[in-house]
Amino acid sequence: MKQFNAKNLMVSTVTAATLSLGTGNAMAEEPIRFGAIYILSGSAATYGEFAQRGIDLAVEEINDSGGILQRQVEVLYEDSQGKAATAIQAARKLAYQDNVDALLGLDSSGVAQGMVPTVPELQKPFIITHAATPDVTGNLCNEFTYRISVNVPQNQKAAAMIAAETDAKRWTTIGPDYAFGHQTWEYFGNYLKEMKPEVELMEQTAFPRFGAEDFTPFINGIMDADPEGIIISTWGGDLVNFIRQANNLGFFDQGYEVMFTVGAATEVLDALGDQMPEGVWLSTRYWYDAYDNEANTRFVEAYLDEYGSAPSYNSEGAYAAIYAYKQAMEAAGTTDGPAVAKALSGMTMEAPNGTVTFRPGDHQAMVSPNWGISGPMHPEHGIRTLTDIRVFDPEEVARPVEETGCTL
Amino acid sequence: MKQNILTGVLLAVIALLVALPWFAPYFYIFVFTEILILGLFAVSFNLIFGFTGMLSFGHAAYFGMGAYTTAMLLLHLDWPLLYTLVAAMALSGLLALVIGFFCVRLSEVYFAMLTLAFGMMVFTIAHSWRDVTNGSDGIAGFRISEFGLGLDLVMGNPAVYYHVTLAIVVIAALVLYVISRSSFGLILKAIRQNPERVAFCGLNVRSYRLASFVIAGIFAGLAGALMAPFLRVASPELMHWSLSAEPVLMSILGGTGYFMGPFVGAALFVLLETWITSYTGAWMLFLGIVLALMVMFFRKGVLGTFLDWWMNKND
Repeated sequence: MKQFNAKNLMVSTVTAATLSLGTGNAMAEEPIRFGAIYILSGSAATYGEFAQRGIDLAVEEINDSGGILQRQVEVLYEDSQGKAATAIQAARKLAYQDNVDALLGLDSSGVAQGMVPTVPELQKPFIITHAATPDVTGNLCNEFTYRISVNVPQNQKAAAMIAAETDAKRWTTIGPDYAFGHQTWEYFGNYLKEMKPEVELMEQTAFPRFGAEDFTPFINGIMDADPEGIIISTWGGDLVNFIRQANNLGFFDQGYEVMFTVGAATEVLDALGDQMPEGVWLSTRYWYDAYDNEANTRFVEAYLDEYGSAPSYNSEGAYAAIYAYKQAMEAAGTTDGPAVAKALSGMTMEAPNGTVTFRPGDHQAMVSPNWGISGPMHPEHGIRTLTDIRVFDPEEVARPVEETGCTL
Repeated sequence: MKQNILTGVLLAVIALLVALPWFAPYFYIFVFTEILILGLFAVSFNLIFGFTGMLSFGHAAYFGMGAYTTAMLLLHLDWPLLYTLVAAMALSGLLALVIGFFCVRLSEVYFAMLTLAFGMMVFTIAHSWRDVTNGSDGIAGFRISEFGLGLDLVMGNPAVYYHVTLAIVVIAALVLYVISRSSFGLILKAIRQNPERVAFCGLNVRSYRLASFVIAGIFAGLAGALMAPFLRVASPELMHWSLSAEPVLMSILGGTGYFMGPFVGAALFVLLETWITSYTGAWMLFLGIVLALMVMFFRKGVLGTFLDWWMNKND
């Protein structure tokens, strides 16, 4: 117990110090606290780190311009370790011990499926900024949970539209062996079959364990099956390993149509440099060069300035989520959990990836995935560029609310 | 006299635990729910370790079995919680019977290795059988609509769930205590000290070992069955060998020689973890140091060392 008191004391001292630097109005009140839950350890820790960058940037900007409801903002981070049970305990700790006003986070679909049903108990709004499983804005949806990032059906509808334009008929997949990998294949297959009934969805698929180091047997298995098109949902550090090994095995010289559903993540491009092959389809939830609007210009400039690299989609989602909360809290005029959650429903905001609306029917943000073909290296950013960038109409790629299984 | 004082202290601790939601910060309801569940898990483990002298490295298999049973019954059949607990105990006991049948034939390191091997097999099944167990994502999204027995309890309320857990853990611990003090329990102790001699007395050592293994499995299953609704997810991590190590650590930390030792160990383990992870991610490093010191200097554990000192103080 003593240790906890000591910790609380420490937080309030730090808060006091921050406040005295802030505006006069903010001094009177406690700061608004956000609780952020991301993967902060292990092989996928870069994703948590990038989310942190986006959040810190947004918080800095907001605090410099007077805060939210004239209160300063602070963020408490918790490590989900990529496990649902850990994330649920972290959310409880943030809500009940640290008294945060709102929650955001989650990198993994599996974690999201476990945690989302427990959110209403906390009575705090929760914005998912990365995890893509359709279930959390589908059959598991609830009045407190929102998602600002692109989900699997949105991305796979777009992917299927591109795949339908190619000549490839025999399609297969390589993806991580959990919700995300399996759902990617399910949605991609269904959409593609609908658009182009003559395609063949192959029996031979590959689902290596998330975090597997050696992808060689899976790559060989797929090459032996001789597909024409492959949708690959492997992501993060796994994707970096995968592409290096695939290069060695000549995977990209076989004339396949290769589509990476999370391939244009800047951290992956950064790690791979020119090892990322040219001429493959890459997608990302947000490509920093795809939007020409004020919010994006400001975000990209500030990000490049602060961190010296092109912003990752995960930074953008987390950054935009903080601004979504700012707008919702100001609209509600309070930080009260249920009121803020309600204010988010149907709210429209200007985010770096354009004008974004949280659909009231399922709380999914109407956003578009960005697809493009990998091009020459960027002269300054040290990563592959995207050519033929496709930004889709959010209404066209979104599932109709009736199909989501969500009844809000 | 001293026995009475101990009983008094134990009752006072239980009274404090009952009153916890009214005086402790809200977050501690979660911390203590976890302590109670892991404490029961560790005490069940100590029946085979501290009492019968068999070091199992696969005890999480039964814990996980209990967790999956409850989670799946809640998800698919929407059973009242109490029935799922009973089902979880039955299935975990059955699993322990099958695995124990092979394991109790061996002793010492071979026993430990075989339990570890079976534990990993069970883990792999839970991890890979996607159609049934939902693979690495585990079973989530279930609701607890009622407790059973016609009791009107709001199970979604963490304080209510804490009290339910407390009541069940206290009852389960009492049953285990009675078992450990019975003539059956005494034979288990004798087996730990000298299995040959017990055999010469005409007792079937293997059957006794198996019985203790199955009882431990049943109560580990109950602990797991309480864990899944608490975490709201049953995932393969609940069966992993690293979770099998936790009751070993808790028992050593608290002391294997006393019935309540593993409970004290579980409390220390969870509280230290909660506090230390607030400051640093290197919780395992710290735990390692504490355990190394315990094993080197206080082999009887925190509770064991204290009680031994206190019991002998005035004599």
